[in-house]
Parts: sequence; C-alpha cells; structure tokens
Amino acid sequence: MEPDLLLGVGRFVLATTLLLLLTVPTAFIIIYLELKVIALMQLRIGPNRVGPAGVFQSAIHGFKVLAKEDFTPDQADRPIFTMAPWMVFMAAAMSMLVIPFAPGLVALDSEISVIYFFAIIGLSVVGLLVAGWASYNKYSLLGGLRSAAQMVSYEIPLTLSIVGVVILTSTLSFTNIIDWQHHHGWAILWQWIGLPVFFIASTAEINRTPFDMVEADSEIVAGFATEYSGMRFGFFFFAEYVSLFIMSAILVTLFFGGWLAPWPFPAQLGGFGGTIYGLFWFLLKTYFFVFVSIWARATLPRVRVDQLMGMAWKVLLPLALVNLFVTAIVVVVFKL
Amino acid sequence: MTAIDPDVRIPDPIDLDRQEEERLRAAAGLGSRGEGRGEYAGFEQVGLPDRPPQTERERRLFSVGEGEMLLNMGPQHPSTHGVMRLLVKVRGEVVTDLDPVLGYLHRGIEKLCENATYTTVLTYVDPMDYMSAMHNEHAPAIAFEKLYDVEVPKRAEYIRALVVELNRVFSHALMMGFLALDMGGITPILYGFINRDETVELLSSISGQRMLFNFFRVGGVNWDISDEFISRLSTWRSNVAKTIGDNELLLTQNEIFTARTKGLGILTAKDAVNLGVTGPNLRASGVPFDVRKAHPYSIYNELEFDVVTQQAGDTYARYLQRVAEIKQSIHLIDQIVERMPHGPVQAQVPGIIRPKPGRAYAAIESPRGLYSVYAISDGGPNPYRFRMRDPSYITLQVMPKLMPGHLLADTMAIMASLDPIMGGVDK
Repeated sequence: MEPDLLLGVGRFVLATTLLLLLTVPTAFIIIYLELKVIALMQLRIGPNRVGPAGVFQSAIHGFKVLAKEDFTPDQADRPIFTMAPWMVFMAAAMSMLVIPFAPGLVALDSEISVIYFFAIIGLSVVGLLVAGWASYNKYSLLGGLRSAAQMVSYEIPLTLSIVGVVILTSTLSFTNIIDWQHHHGWAILWQWIGLPVFFIASTAEINRTPFDMVEADSEIVAGFATEYSGMRFGFFFFAEYVSLFIMSAILVTLFFGGWLAPWPFPAQLGGFGGTIYGLFWFLLKTYFFVFVSIWARATLPRVRVDQLMGMAWKVLLPLALVNLFVTAIVVVVFKL
Repeated sequence: MTAIDPDVRIPDPIDLDRQEEERLRAAAGLGSRGEGRGEYAGFEQVGLPDRPPQTERERRLFSVGEGEMLLNMGPQHPSTHGVMRLLVKVRGEVVTDLDPVLGYLHRGIEKLCENATYTTVLTYVDPMDYMSAMHNEHAPAIAFEKLYDVEVPKRAEYIRALVVELNRVFSHALMMGFLALDMGGITPILYGFINRDETVELLSSISGQRMLFNFFRVGGVNWDISDEFISRLSTWRSNVAKTIGDNELLLTQNEIFTARTKGLGILTAKDAVNLGVTGPNLRASGVPFDVRKAHPYSIYNELEFDVVTQQAGDTYARYLQRVAEIKQSIHLIDQIVERMPHGPVQAQVPGIIRPKPGRAYAAIESPRGLYSVYAISDGGPNPYRFRMRDPSYITLQVMPKLMPGHLLADTMAIMASLDPIMGGVDK
C-alpha cells in the first residue's frame, strides 16, 4: 500500500474514533446544561448532589441507562427494533465528521461537506420511523409517523435556507465558507432572512421544543421511544443532544463565522495556538445557540402537528425561496 | 440428593392461567384468543370489554372502521390528570370518537361518610377534590350546621371565606400550569407550585397539614388564625401577583399558546347549561352563574366582587376565566382581612352530634364549579344519606362533545382546560 493512502486511512480512523468519543462528553455537557439552566429559569436549584454543583449528574444518568434492563416487547420486530437506536446515533455521529472545529481541526475537509452533512443528518428520520414501527406500540407508531411528516416538511426549507450562503460564498465546503467570511464579514450580514429560517427548521429537524411532537410526553407518552429502555433509549437520548450540538455548530459555521473571533485583531491565528483560539470561539458561539435552544424549551409550549407543517410549507419555504432569489440577484448585481 | 428428571416440566403459572382462561371462554361460548401469539396476545383488544356491546353507544365506539384505531390514553399516561382513562378512537391523528372511563380512584367516600359521625365526615371528604380540600369541607360543614341548627360565629365565617379563597387561588394557578404542561410548556407548572407551596405553608400554619387540611368543624373552624398566619399571609399577598403574573407573561400573549387554544373546544352556553357544567367552565361560555352570587352562603353577600365571564367558550377563554377569577379572589381576600371581626371561632357543639331527623342541602362554589352536599339525618350520630355532587364529574361528560374532530394533541389541551380532578370524579 502506498504510504499516503495508509496515512489517510490512519488519519480517518483516528478522527472518527475521536469524534465518536467526543459525542459522549458533548451529550453529557448539554444534558447537564439543560438540567441546570432550566432549573435556574424555573427558580429551582437543579442537580447539586453528584460532584461540585452536580456536574456529574449526566454521567450518572449515563450509567443508569447502562444498568437498566434492555427490554424488547414480545411482538416487536427484533432486528429493526435493535438497529433503530444506532441508526439515529450514527446519523448524528457521522455528521460530526465535517464540522470545522478550528483551523486544521476538521476530520473530513471535503469539497462537498455541505451536501454530505445534509444527506447524513436526514438519515436519522429513518431510524426514528423504524423505531416507531418496530416497537409494536400505538404511541410509538404515532411518534414515528409524526417524525416522518415533520422531517419531510422541514428538510426542504432547511436545505433551501443554506443555499443563500452557498451562493454567497460560491463553495460547498464548510472551511471555505469560513474563509470567505474571514474576508467578507460574517454571512449573517447578508443572510438575515436565512438565519431565522435555518434556526427554526433545524430546531424542528432535531425535534427540540417547541417542535418536539415526536416525543410529546403529554400526548403520546414518549413517541417512538416509548418501548425503549436501557442503553437503547440512551442512544436516542444521546443522539438528540449530539444533534443539538451539531445543528448549533453548523448554524455558527454558516452564519456566524465558525471559528472566527468576533473582532478582526486577529480573527484567527496560525499554528497550534490558533487552533485553541479558534476552538474557543467556535465552542463559545455553539454553546450560545445550545443555550438559546434550552431557553426556548423552558419558555415555550409545543406547537401542533398541523401548525408545524403549515408553518413549514406556507411561511418558511416561501421565505427561504425569497432569500435564495434575493441573494442570487445581489451576488450577480454587486459581483460579490 | 435426588436427581432431577429432565423430562418433568414444571408448568408455567402463566400457561395455567391461559388454559383456565381458554376454558372459561369456551364455557361462555366465546372464541379462543388465538394460538402461539406470545405474552402480549390480544394486545389490540386491551381495554375493550370482553363481551358483546350492550348499548348502541358501545357498539358505535368499539366498531373500528378502516384506518381507525382505538387508543387507550390512561389510566397510566403522563398527562391524564390522575388516573383518568380516555378511550380514544383516532383516524390518523384526528379523534373521531372518545369515551372517558372512570372508577380507577373510587374509594367509596360517600359510603364511608355514612358510617362516620358528623364530625369525622369532614375528615373523609378532604381527599375527594384534592386541589381544593378546603372547599370539600365547606359544603358538608354548612349542610350539617343546617341540620343541627347551629349558628357559626362571625369570625369563623370570615376565616372560612379566607381559607377557601386562598385555596381557590392556588387551584386556579395550578390549572394554568397544567394547561401549559399538557401543551408542552414545562415552566408555568413550577411557578404555579411556587404559589401553591406558599399557600399550603400558610394554611398548614393554622391547620397543621399541607394538603388535606381538615380545618373545618361543624359550627366553626379548628383554630383561630395565628400570628404566623398573618405574617405569612402578608408575604403571600406581596408575592402572589408576581407568581401569577410570571405565568401570565409566559402564556397569555404567547403566540404558540394562543394559536393552539383560541377557537379550540368551543363549549356553547346552551350545551354547557344542558350538560350541567358549572363554575369557571360555564362562565367562560358566557353564563354569569356563580353560587357565591346566585345563592350566597357564608359571608359572600357582605363582600364585593364581580362575576367575570368570557364570551368565547373556547380553551383560551377558560384559561382567561381562571386568571380573572384569581384576581377576584385576591380582591376578596383583601376585603376579608380588612373586615375580620373579633370573637370566638367555634360554636358550642357536643362531641357527638345527633341532629333531629331531617334533610339539608348546601351548595358552594368550588374552583371547579357548583359543589353541593345533600345530607339526611335519621336522628342518629351518622348521616343516614350523604350525597355529594362533584363538579369535575359533571364536567367530564362534555368531553365527547368537545374533542371529536380535533387532533390527538388537542384532547389534552381541552381536558386540561376543563380542569377535572379525578379524586373528585371517582369520590
């Protein structure tokens, strides 16, 4: 084998392993944040027993799901029932490959990483749908079908909302998009219609409040996850929080300059220090949008299925199209 | 040590049960449940009666058409207030038919009361409508005072009015929270419980308990209000506007909340009256009926308050009605505290009350509507008959009228807006 290829394969294996391992602390941090932030918003104390200020609470949750009985309903479609959680989890974990954390810190710096990302993140719906179908439970079925309807409605505005950025930067690579923003300013300056469309559609895509009908606990118990227990439920749970991180990261990459600092002195640095510098700003911005999502969860009630789809098709889709055309005209006229 | 014969099979008790069931089914002339279908055989039929339909209504409900499915929501479900069970027939997500099934919390309180002395009846009625225990005690107390013909001291009447209005405030505040919770908003319920916690601490300082207060006595109340109560009451009074206001900020103008509740589950005034709905649900449909005004009891004819009504009759109107009534109750509490007279809080009554034979009826306005007690005495120490009309039970019968045609998600919003408490429904 050629040494270049070997190096490439080795690098890929290392990167995927690290990212797979990264999903666990990411989920732990966001779960803890959610518990603590919502508690503070509700005038409660929140987790404060396990570790200082309860920081190990989500780790304990992780061990708890490991220790629980892994139950499969008698009538469930066993192979699919078993496979569904890791389909959802792998969709989340695989899409982490293309996230540009910092200069030089991206596992797969591909020319078509935007297309790759939206292709992979859309796969999770398959997992949710088969989970709902294979569970042999009426609530699961309703949840699975809701997830299918929801994702079909939101995939299109979600994808269209980023086409504006793609036209503006004329590249499909996340790192090149950040490079463009380094020279021209953050894309939010031009894409202020695209951002709300992307934010709402991505919230719906990852089933976060106020669009969490897929697992609406007050209506359909736990939706697709009703019959899941133990680590299989844990995978769904992890995947949800990892997707939240991923969607916030992509939002930051597309609209808020990714790893770039909010000021130009300097926006980015070279070398190892630059990687740390970029990572710091990237995580800060990403966790800000994670916080916004948690904030929404503490504040808003859930929308109804028909209202959600009505909004997707009647409001977001036209807005995304308008954004697309205006961006295209602006790019052509002003030759950006 | 004896060797175990590998051919001897110890029968599985579940198999024995199954055989017994098959035998019984064969004897009753019913078909077999089917062979080799595992532990969850007959899952599709869970909740269906194991007999031919008895009425036209049952036949219609249990006949599932093409594309329809019967869904049991409850008795164990995250949001069926207590142990309510809704048998819902859905076509996709649209509810086509619905039947509330009751009785999972039946404790036979009426019968218990008929075997208790008049004094101890007031302890049994507490856990009925557990969100308004003070109201539960108020109606029997009035009825027994009518039976025994005893005059309640003025100060006791004022204390009674004070505690029931406090109870009404937290009950309505919790309803706001439960409505939001059933629609996915998790914070309002916590704010409601902050208010409730202050109130129950306040009430426990004079009654000794936090939930089932057991505060009323025939001919008065158990304790006079204490200094601790007064100081806690002033703290409560300064905080209540904030806790209720926080919830209002989260809900009243919330775009998602209004979009989901406006025009949802409209109960017309005619239907409401015909079905016997009372309380905030009736007033939200535009009928200005309030027992406190229509048939004044206690000291309500001395106090000044409005009977607020809404015109829409939808879920949002029922929510606004609760908010408006909280404000009226706070207004009432202010007046009561200001006019509180001095004097005794308990009339002279013997330990065991033996009223003359006769009957008495007392109705009060509980947070859920007209709650009344009808007591018959035969001269003995126990009531001969003790009948309670709980408004939650009456309210349940509008559900099959309001919910069909709406989505599954809306059934929960409508149910929460009607605010039934299963402890009161099943008694």
